[in-house]
Amino acid sequence: MKYPPLWLLILTLGLLLMFPLTAGSQSGNPIALVQAVLCEDILEFVPQNRTTVFSIERRTAFCFTAFDPVPQKAIIYHHWFHRDTPSARIKLTLKPPRWSTYSSIQLRVEDIGPWRVEITDDQGNIFHILRFSVTE
Amino acid sequence: MDNFLFLILSLRWQDIVDIGLVSYILLRFYVLFRGTNAFRVLIGMTILWFLQQVAVSMGLVVTSWVVQGVVALGAFIIIVVFRNEIRNVLLARNLRSILWEFSSKTVITAIETIVLSVHEMAQDKCGALIVLPGKEDLEEVVQGGIPWKGAISKEMILSIFWPDNPVHDGAAIIQGDQINQVAAILPLSRRDDLPSYYGTRHRAALGLAEATDALVIVVSEERGDIVVARDSQLKTVKQKRRLGQILQEHMGVAVKKGRESRKEKLAFIAAALFSVIFTTGVWFSVSRGVDTLVTLQVPLEYTKRDLAMEIVETSVNTVNLELEGSGALIKSIRPDQVQVRLDLSKSKAGPNTFTITRKTISLPPGVVLKGVTPSVVDVELDVLIERELPVQIDWVGRLPDHFILEEATVEPKMVAIIGGKRMLEKMLTLYTEKVPLNNLEVEGVITANVALNPASLKIASGSDEKVTIRYLTRLRNQ
Repeated sequence: MKYPPLWLLILTLGLLLMFPLTAGSQSGNPIALVQAVLCEDILEFVPQNRTTVFSIERRTAFCFTAFDPVPQKAIIYHHWFHRDTPSARIKLTLKPPRWSTYSSIQLRVEDIGPWRVEITDDQGNIFHILRFSVTE
Repeated sequence: MDNFLFLILSLRWQDIVDIGLVSYILLRFYVLFRGTNAFRVLIGMTILWFLQQVAVSMGLVVTSWVVQGVVALGAFIIIVVFRNEIRNVLLARNLRSILWEFSSKTVITAIETIVLSVHEMAQDKCGALIVLPGKEDLEEVVQGGIPWKGAISKEMILSIFWPDNPVHDGAAIIQGDQINQVAAILPLSRRDDLPSYYGTRHRAALGLAEATDALVIVVSEERGDIVVARDSQLKTVKQKRRLGQILQEHMGVAVKKGRESRKEKLAFIAAALFSVIFTTGVWFSVSRGVDTLVTLQVPLEYTKRDLAMEIVETSVNTVNLELEGSGALIKSIRPDQVQVRLDLSKSKAGPNTFTITRKTISLPPGVVLKGVTPSVVDVELDVLIERELPVQIDWVGRLPDHFILEEATVEPKMVAIIGGKRMLEKMLTLYTEKVPLNNLEVEGVITANVALNPASLKIASGSDEKVTIRYLTRLRNQ
């Protein structure tokens, strides 16, 4: 029986050592964002009145996100920015097999202006950015 | 004493030229207008102006106003009342004699011609009446007269007074080297103490000499003698040389000798000295007077900036300069005469500090810098880069209560801008100018400009400042 050359064994071993890391990292973060909306209210985990402009009279702005699949328990963040200034960083937990979650902010007069919400994983990788305005 | 020495030592060559030129102009005024009524009034005005300055310095408010009014009015009076006198002085001389000559060869030649002509006519007993105007205007005194405008020559004078010539009875008026008028009728003297052998010519010559500062030469037809009328006096002149002297004296030609000539030279030197002292005094009071202190707010100007960099931030945009000088100079300062320039040629990207020194400030001559606030300026420079940023709509106003703006998209989503590196690295979003919600329909397309804030930002070539907004509204679920 002819054995493969030594260099091929070393190369194969090296590849095996490298691939599980990248594959693991891919399989470790397969959660997918399937819905991200801004809305005026959430009833029974269903976003109500999807919008991109909130009047301060509405008092609250919601950011609803749905993930599918969620293979394992994971952490995501909703980063709220007023213009480019961070305003709130809300930590949310996702549970398998799929999960919907939301965050909200209270609207005040000084919040009038353009906003954005960055939805990220715990490593800071951005899933999506939602932009909206708060008006009088 | 130290202050005086400091003032003298601080003189620049431009200041000396300044004083010299104005002194010379004053001296020329004296040379051209001396002996005239306008000059006498001008002297009076100068004294009044001096009195006004004294009144101001003593705080005599009403007196200074009154004198100021008189001086202002006097300037008009000189021009209006003495216009003919001024015109005569200027017309009688060529540009060279106005600017620098103190005597004129043409006048000397003309005098010689007149003397020879008069002498010949006297020998021939040919009656003649020749008027040599002084500095006063003859227009209102002399009547009639035929314009002649001929260059002076012995033959011309002899032919004018030739008995068969129709114009021989009147007077010829000679100005400079020109015969201006002939057959002019002069006013007759009313004096009754004249000798009986003096005829109408003598009476006319004396009449004009009484009324003006003109000199009139009479050649008697009967006796062939020469009489000169001047300053209300008639004087018989027998010698050619004496007649020449009288004419030279009258025309202000500097060939006088002896005491008279010395006296005139002294007067001229005194006038020159007065011009220099007066001008120097005025110059020092205007340019070196330090009676006024003023604070000016002056914008900073930046020069020699590297084109690859831009000014991001400055600690101040203006500085306050405390300036000292005479009231007249301080009041006449124009904004473009005071500049504070900072040289950015040696500055780097990032914070830079500049100290404002006298070298960085340009001031009009005679104004002294007493202080600068602030004296240190921080300037932050940045390297220009291009960056592409997402554009977000900046909605304002409000929709009707039952409507919501469900969707709004921007095209293009990204716009490239050019600006300072440090600033652009901090920027994450570009916003549109305010877009009002009030006028929206159910759905539609509108355009809006990208708001460039700060204004130093520029849209990169290839990007558009305008973005297209597509929107969709719908009824709110209650």
